[in-house]
Amino acid sequence: MGIVAKNLVKNVGDPPTRILHDISLEISRGEMFSISGRSGSGKSTLLYLLSTLDQPSEGSLIIDGRNITDMSIEELHRFRNNNVGFVFQFHYLLTELTALENVLLPARNSGQHLEKTSFAHELFYQFGMENKKDSLPSQLSGGEQQRIAIARALIMNPGYIFADEPTGNLDSKNGLIVMDFLKRINQERGATVVLVTHEREYAAMAQREIYLVDGRLTNEETFIANH
Amino acid sequence: MLFLATRHLLSRKRQTTLILLGICLGTMVYVIISGLQLGMREFILDRLLNNTPHIKISARDRIIDKEEMTQRFFHNEAAVSWIIPPSGKREELHIQYPQGWFDRLSNNPDVASYTSSLNLNVIISHRDNTYPGNLGGIEPLKQIQVTALEDYMVEGSFLDLTGGGNKLIVGDGVLERLGVRRNDSIKVSTGSGEARPFKIVGVLKLGIKEIDETLMFAALKDVQQLNKTPGRISEIWVKLFDLNRSGELAQAWELLSRETVEGWEESNSNFLQIFTIQDIVRNTITVAILVVAGFGIYNVLSIMINQKRREIAILRSIGYPPRKILWLFLIQGIILGISGAAIGLLLGHLTNMYIETIDIGIQMGPHSTFLISRAPSIYIVGFALAIISSGIASILPAHAASKLTPIDIIRSEV
Repeated sequence: MGIVAKNLVKNVGDPPTRILHDISLEISRGEMFSISGRSGSGKSTLLYLLSTLDQPSEGSLIIDGRNITDMSIEELHRFRNNNVGFVFQFHYLLTELTALENVLLPARNSGQHLEKTSFAHELFYQFGMENKKDSLPSQLSGGEQQRIAIARALIMNPGYIFADEPTGNLDSKNGLIVMDFLKRINQERGATVVLVTHEREYAAMAQREIYLVDGRLTNEETFIANH
Repeated sequence: MLFLATRHLLSRKRQTTLILLGICLGTMVYVIISGLQLGMREFILDRLLNNTPHIKISARDRIIDKEEMTQRFFHNEAAVSWIIPPSGKREELHIQYPQGWFDRLSNNPDVASYTSSLNLNVIISHRDNTYPGNLGGIEPLKQIQVTALEDYMVEGSFLDLTGGGNKLIVGDGVLERLGVRRNDSIKVSTGSGEARPFKIVGVLKLGIKEIDETLMFAALKDVQQLNKTPGRISEIWVKLFDLNRSGELAQAWELLSRETVEGWEESNSNFLQIFTIQDIVRNTITVAILVVAGFGIYNVLSIMINQKRREIAILRSIGYPPRKILWLFLIQGIILGISGAAIGLLLGHLTNMYIETIDIGIQMGPHSTFLISRAPSIYIVGFALAIISSGIASILPAHAASKLTPIDIIRSEV
C-alpha cells in the first residue's frame, strides 16, 4: 500500500524538454514526506504527477495497488475525489461560496454534502474557526483562508494529502500554524502527507525528505552542498 | 452543479440582468410581431378561403391575335404585312362546354362538390343613385356547400334565392350607397338591354369594404335571363376533400381544357407572397435580436471562465470531472435562456393583450381593433429560439472551460 512510482519521466513543450528524469520512489501509507529543491528543479511537477493531477510522459504510478496511468478520466476524478486532498500555495477558494460551502465542495461532487456537514462543523471547531463558517473568503485573513483550504482537503477523509508550498503565501506565524495542522493530520488521522516546500525547517518536519536537482533525485549531502 | 451555477449568476447580478433583458426582449418582440402578423393573416386567410374556392375554373379571354390569324390564313413562308392588324375578342367570356366539366367533376373522387356561376359587371340603381357592381349568378344550395359565404350573412340566407324570382343578396355597403333597406327593390342592368327590378332578400358582410360595396348574388337562372344568355356559365367553383391537392389537380386539369384552372394558392398568390415576405422579416428581426443576446451570453461566460480559471483548477483537482465543468457553465446559459424566454413570453403576451384593445378605426372582422393571434406555435417557437440560441452561445465557452487542465492553470498562475 502507498504510492509506488517507477521511472517517472515528464516532458513538456515542443520540442519536448525533459523536466523530470527517471524518478522512482515509494511512499508508504501514513508517512509524512517532503520534496525539496530549488524553484525550477521540478519538485512541483513531481508532486502533481504523484497526486494524479498530471500525467507522466513515461513510467508508471500505482497508488494503493491501483494503476493510475490506466484510469479513465471519470475514474481518475472519482479517485481524486475520494482519496486525495490538495493544499496549494494559493488557497483557491470559490469567492461566491461561504467558508462552510467551500469546505463541503468535494463532498458535493459525490452528493455527500449533507452527511458530511457535521464533520465539517467538527473541522471548523478543530481549526478554531467556528464563528467564520458563514463568512465569504474575502472576509477572511490569509491564514484563515489557508486553514479553510486545508479543511476542504480533509472533508472526504482522504488517505493522501498533497501540499504545494502551503506556507508560501503566509507569514511565519501563520505558516507555522498551517504546518502544525499538516503534522497533526498526519499523526492523528494517519493520512499520508506529501509536501513541497523550499523552507528547510518545514521540510525537516517530515519523516523523510527527497531532494531534486534539475529534475533528478539526489542525496542530501550533494543537495546541501549545492545550496 | 446547479447550486454553483446559480451562485455564479447571482454574484454578477448586473450582467445577468442585462443578458436576461436581451433574451427577454428577443422573445417578446417575436411574440408581438408574430401575434400581429399572424392575427392579420388568420383574418385574411379566413376570408380568402371562404371567398375563393379550392379550384376555380374560369373562361379564358380569347383575344384575336395577329400572329395566329397570319398562320391560319396564309402559309408560314408567306410574308404578310397587315394594313390594319386583326384585333378584338373572339367571344364573350363563358365556359365552352360546361357539361364536359360537370361529367368530369362528378366522376372525380377528389371532388367534394362543385357549383357553377355566371358573373357579370352590372349597373345598379335606385331612384337617382347609380353604381357599378358585381353580380354573381349562383346555385344557392351548391354554393353554400362549396364556400362558407353563408356564415357572413347578416340578414336572410342564401337559400332564400332558391327557385329564382329576381331576388338579390347584397353586401351591406351596397345598402348604404343606394340608401335602401332589405325588402326594397333595386334595378339591375347589364349595360345593354333593359334594367330589371330585383328584390333584396338578404344582406352579406365580409368585413372588407371594397367587396361589401359591390358584391351581389342572385339565382343563376335570373342572371342568365338578365344577360339574355340562357345556359351560359363563366365559372365553376370546386371544393376538394383535401385542400392541399388543389395546386396539383388544377395543373392537371388545365392541360386538358381550354379554360383557366386555378388552384387556391395560385388565385391568392399575391397574398401568399406577402406572407412569405412577412415571415422572412419577422424571423430576421428575431434572429438578429437573439444573436445579439447570444453574443452577450458568449462574452460574459468567456470572461467569467477566464476569471475563474483558478476555480476550475481546484474543482478539477478535488475530483469534478470535465463533464461537470462543462455542465457548470452550460447550465448558466440555459438558465438565462429559459428564464429570459419565460419572462419574454409573458411580457409579449401581456403587450399583445393591451394591443388588442387599441382602436385603430379600421373595421377588421368583428371589431375595429388589432387582430392578434394566440396560436400556441408562436409561444413554442419563441421559447425554442431563445433556448437554442442561448444553448449554442454557452456551449462553446463551456466546452473550452472543460478542456482546461488543472495543471496548465496552476502553472500559468505561479
